[in-house]
Amino acid sequence: MENINGTLFKQMLESGANNLMNQYATIDALNVFPVPDGDTGTNMSLTFSAGSSDALKVNSDRVCDIAKALSKGLLMGARGNSGVITSQIFRGIYQSVEDLDDINALQLANAFVNGSRIAYKAVMRPVEGTILTVIREASDYTLLYAVDKEDLTCIDVLEKLVYEAKESLERTPELLPVLKEVGVVDSGGYGLVTILEGFLSALKGTIIEKNENAAETSVAGADMESDEFGYCTEFIVRLDPNVQKTFKESKLRDKLSEMGDSLVVVQDDDIVKVHVHTLRPGDALNIGQRYGEFVKLKIENMQEQHENIIMSTKTEEVKEATPASKYALIAVAAGDGLNEMFKELRVDHIISGGQTMNPSTEDFVEAIKKINAEHIFIMPNNSNIVLAAQQAAQVMEDKDIRVIPSKSIPQGLCACMMFNPEVDVEMNVEEMNEAIANVKTGQVTYAIKDTTFEGLKIKQGDYMGINEKDIVVSTKDKLDATKQLLDTLVSEDSEIVTLIAGENTGDDEMNEIVSYIEEKFGVEVEANHGNQPVYSFVIGVE
Amino acid sequence: MSVTRNTKYGDFNISKEAITSLAGGVVSECYGVVGMASQKLLKDGIAELLKKENFSKGVVVKENEGQLELDLYIIVSHGIKISEVVKEVQNKVKYVLEKSLEIEVGPVNIYVQGVKVME
Repeated sequence: MENINGTLFKQMLESGANNLMNQYATIDALNVFPVPDGDTGTNMSLTFSAGSSDALKVNSDRVCDIAKALSKGLLMGARGNSGVITSQIFRGIYQSVEDLDDINALQLANAFVNGSRIAYKAVMRPVEGTILTVIREASDYTLLYAVDKEDLTCIDVLEKLVYEAKESLERTPELLPVLKEVGVVDSGGYGLVTILEGFLSALKGTIIEKNENAAETSVAGADMESDEFGYCTEFIVRLDPNVQKTFKESKLRDKLSEMGDSLVVVQDDDIVKVHVHTLRPGDALNIGQRYGEFVKLKIENMQEQHENIIMSTKTEEVKEATPASKYALIAVAAGDGLNEMFKELRVDHIISGGQTMNPSTEDFVEAIKKINAEHIFIMPNNSNIVLAAQQAAQVMEDKDIRVIPSKSIPQGLCACMMFNPEVDVEMNVEEMNEAIANVKTGQVTYAIKDTTFEGLKIKQGDYMGINEKDIVVSTKDKLDATKQLLDTLVSEDSEIVTLIAGENTGDDEMNEIVSYIEEKFGVEVEANHGNQPVYSFVIGVE
Repeated sequence: MSVTRNTKYGDFNISKEAITSLAGGVVSECYGVVGMASQKLLKDGIAELLKKENFSKGVVVKENEGQLELDLYIIVSHGIKISEVVKEVQNKVKYVLEKSLEIEVGPVNIYVQGVKVME
C-alpha cells in the first residue's frame, strides 16, 4: 500500500464528513456532558463539514496544503465544545504534516499523536472520559503499535486507530460518572470515531456517501430519549368496588414500569393516582381503565413542553379566578393628578410609570393577576411601554387581554373616554384605537444636557416643546415653549385641547396658557393638574 | 453575601467564596481556557506564593436581586475560535452552578483578558 497522497486525503475527508453527517442525530442523543443540550452531533457535523469543504476546494495535490485548509476551515467553522476540540486535533495533525507532500504509515500515526497533544494544550484541567481521552488513548496506543513495525501500511495504522478509539470510547463511562449514570458513551468521542471510520472506509476504497435520510437514531439514542421526552401521562382512577378489595399498588406499578419511567402510583381509599412518562400513553390508559373509571386525565407531549418550558412555567404560576366583572382597564401613569383623571374614567388599576420609569412585563403581569374580569384593556401610554404590555398579554394567554397601543397620556385618556361598558369587546377595541389615531400629542419638558436635534440647538435647562416625537422648539422660557408648541399642534380642524399641568407648573402658568389658546385658536380647553413628573405640560389636541 | 435557604430540617448557607471556587473549578475544565486573569492581585499573589490551589482566581461573584451574576476573567489558547469557547464557558458554568446549587444564575460575563500563544 502506497502513502496517502492529496487525492486520497481529500477522499478520506469527504468520507469522514459524510459519515459524521449521517450519524449526527445518534450523536446528539448521546450528549449529556458538559451540558445536556443534545447538540454535539449537529455541532461536530457542521464544524467538520465546514473544514472538509474548504479542504476539498484546495487546488493542490500536496497533503500539507489540504491539511492547512482543513485546519483553517475547522477553526473558522468551529461550533460548540466538541467542534472546537475537533478543530484543535486537526490543527495538531496539520502541524505534524506541515511540509509533507504525502504521508506514510508512521507519519500518519505521529500526526494523530500530535493532534492529541495540541488538543490537550488548550485546557487547564482536562476532563477525562471525553473526546480528548479517545484521541489520546487511540493515538498513543497506535503509535506504540506502529513504531517497531517495518512494513506497516496506512490502512493498518488507521485500522488500529479506529479499533483503539472504539475501545477507548467504551471506557468513557468509567471515567466520567455522568455518562455512566445515563448509560451512554461520550458523544464527542463517538463523533470522532465516526470521522475516523469514514477515513478508514475511504482508504479501503469505499467513500461513504451522504445518506439522504440521515436522521436515523440508534437504540442507545431511543433509550435516552424516552427518559427525557415522550408523553407525560397522568390519570386518576376511581376503583371499581369489585376490584378495590383485590387491588394492589405494586401490581399496577409493575405493569406500568415496563412501558415507561418516572413512574408514580399512589392509592388513597378508592382513588388511584398514576404518573408515568411513556412513549405509548394509550397503553398506559388501557391498563388503568381495567381498574375502574377515570376521574381525571392528562397527557402532555414532553418534547413540546421542553420547548415551551419558559412559557409554561410562567402561566402555571397564575392562579385561576372566576371572572367577576366584564371589563377592566389598566393604565400606566405617573403623578397623583393623572391617576385621579384615569380613575374618573373608570380605570381599575394604575401602574406607576412613564418616560423615565418604564414598568416591566412583570409589573403588568402582577396587575393583571389582581384583576378579576373577562376582558382586560391595557393603555401603556408610552411608546416604550407598549412592548412590555404586549408581552404581558402573551404571558397571560389564558386571559383576554387587549393592549390599546396608546403612546402618550392624552391618547390614553381619549381611549378611556371612548370606552363603553355596554358594547362588546371588538367594538370597544375599534373605538379606542380610533380615538388614539385622532389625538395629537404635545409635551413640554426641560433638557438635561446640551444636544442638537435635527439642526435645533438645545441647551441644558432649556424647555423643549415636543410634537409627537419631534422636538420643535427649545427656549429658556417654559410658557414661550408651550405657546410655540401649541402653534404647531393646533390647526383649523382642532376641536378640543386637553391641557395637563405637571408637578412643577402652577395655576397662574396654566391659566395663562388656557387664555392663550382660547384667544388665539378659539377652541375649547380642558385644563387639569396631572402633577406628573418630568413634563411641565402634556397637551392633547383632537 | 451568600446564598441562604431554609429547609424543614434547618437552614443552609453557601458562601460567596464557595461559589467563587466552584465557578473557578468549572472554568478551569472548560476547553480552550488556558488560564485565569487575577482581579485581586494581593490575595491571588499570596496564594501563588504559597503554591495553593486557587480556583477563585479571576472569578468575581455578585448578587443582584436574588440572582447570581458572575464575571470571569479568562485567558484563552491561541488558534482557537474564541467566540465558541466563550459561549461554551457561559453555558457550562451556568449549567453546573444551577444544577449543583439549585440557585438561579443570571448573567455570566466573560472577559477575555489574554490569548496565550503556545510554541
